[in-house]
Amino acid sequence: MAGNPNVRLRFLNRPENVLLVRQALNGLAEALEMDALELNDVTTAVTEACNNVVLHAYGGEEGPLEVELSAPPGELGVVVRDRGLGLRPGAEADEHLSGGIGLPVIHALSSRVELRDVAGGGTEVEMRFATGAGRSFTEPQARAELVVADGSPSSSDTALLTVAPAPVAGSVLPRVLSALAARAYFPTDRIRDAQTLVEVLLERIDGSVTASHLEIAITVVPHSLELRIGPLESGRAGRLLEAAPSANLSPLLERLGVGQEVSGETLAVRLAGGRT
Amino acid sequence: MSSAAITPRAGVGDGLPALFARWQKGGDHAARETLIERYTPLARSLARRYGRSSEPFEDLLQVALLGLVKAVDRFDAERGSPFQSFAVPTILGEMRRYFRDSGWAVHVPRGAQERALKVRDAQERISGAHGQAPTVGQLAEYLELGTEEVLDALQAIRAYETVSLDAPRPGGDEDATSFGDSLGVDDERYELVELDATVKSALGQLPPRDRLVLRLRFVEDLTQTEIADRVGISQMQVSRLLRRSLEHLRALTSAPAGTR
Repeated sequence: MAGNPNVRLRFLNRPENVLLVRQALNGLAEALEMDALELNDVTTAVTEACNNVVLHAYGGEEGPLEVELSAPPGELGVVVRDRGLGLRPGAEADEHLSGGIGLPVIHALSSRVELRDVAGGGTEVEMRFATGAGRSFTEPQARAELVVADGSPSSSDTALLTVAPAPVAGSVLPRVLSALAARAYFPTDRIRDAQTLVEVLLERIDGSVTASHLEIAITVVPHSLELRIGPLESGRAGRLLEAAPSANLSPLLERLGVGQEVSGETLAVRLAGGRT
Repeated sequence: MSSAAITPRAGVGDGLPALFARWQKGGDHAARETLIERYTPLARSLARRYGRSSEPFEDLLQVALLGLVKAVDRFDAERGSPFQSFAVPTILGEMRRYFRDSGWAVHVPRGAQERALKVRDAQERISGAHGQAPTVGQLAEYLELGTEEVLDALQAIRAYETVSLDAPRPGGDEDATSFGDSLGVDDERYELVELDATVKSALGQLPPRDRLVLRLRFVEDLTQTEIADRVGISQMQVSRLLRRSLEHLRALTSAPAGTR
């Protein structure tokens, strides 16, 4: 897929992370006002491709599962990529995808499929779906990135979500966040607060981004989530919090029992999932 | 997430071309039955992959099997391509047509709404009993739903509360119902919204304690148990009082629920 996709995700190829991909897909479909029937086709095909990466790409080891979504007019493009064993030639490519029926399923549900080797090892499946969706998104100029670190801070354990433009971020981030908060055992009222907080922060951060992209790192540990947002204009991170009492941010921050810290251009917020 | 792949025992392949020939050329129904039986796991696996929880699995499986029968009847065994590469699109096409013809895309929002209501009721019940909102895992266990279904329901609840309750439902133009209407009469919160502005003047006619309970419930968003603690009555009394107040308000206003 040429250029910057609207949404870019990178997770470990764990089974539970396929749910995050579907949540992002649901969010994008909502932003695009896609038909439920079309979304069902897309979800089924993309799940097949992701499950293949989960089950077969790394020969039982862990490795990255990368997904890119883009929404040019009349189309939804999805790339599912692994950095693993790569395609074996010929008919075995079929076997490679979920015991033989993954690829036929993808072929049947999408309007175009391409399988490619990835330079340096790995495979990518590019799927195109024709859609009657009312909206489309141009290739983003600036990007918002969500980095999801799942438990341990080791770099191999880091997942990545790039979202642009803003309407996409607004519908994709809260969904992915809710799945992660559920994973951290947040009660439902806290999940909702966390979603609202992220939405408010996204709104307020708009215009304070210095780089071509914004990174939001979310670390999932049991009963808490840690958000790191940056890079922001120097001093802006602090002002975001200073201004908080006058905005609806502060009751949220209070309820979530958070700790905050500003270091350089990064704002870090810790959300507590349980009552303290 | 779909479960691990079920590979039909096709690769075993003993006499597959022969079976197709016996049925397609010789009209041997036993051969047809054998083929259908052999590929039933494929149909089942596709129904599970393509199906969403809004549709009873057994119904969808029947549709997938119908697709399988069509594939068995139409497959050209002499072309040399594997049966699966013909059967998969045929079966998926059948399910897709079924969804389209049954208006699934239109009815899905209603199914999602019903589940959202169930999830929210459970949420309130558990919150009431334990003084703390449940986790997604607890809700999933309690309602025998998947994590994903609960997440989607929570998302739907959020959406309902964000959009105008009087906005026409997408795809529902034939009966022009609103979200408020479709959420059901037993739903106190939406009832109140439905009663809308007229409620405000009617509120003045309620006794102060009833007004306080309504405010705690709908403005401060406390659970019935929390209200009970605050006001010093039982949760059951709070529940009864809320119901009575809403009935009273309804009587006082000219718009009965569900008719707007």
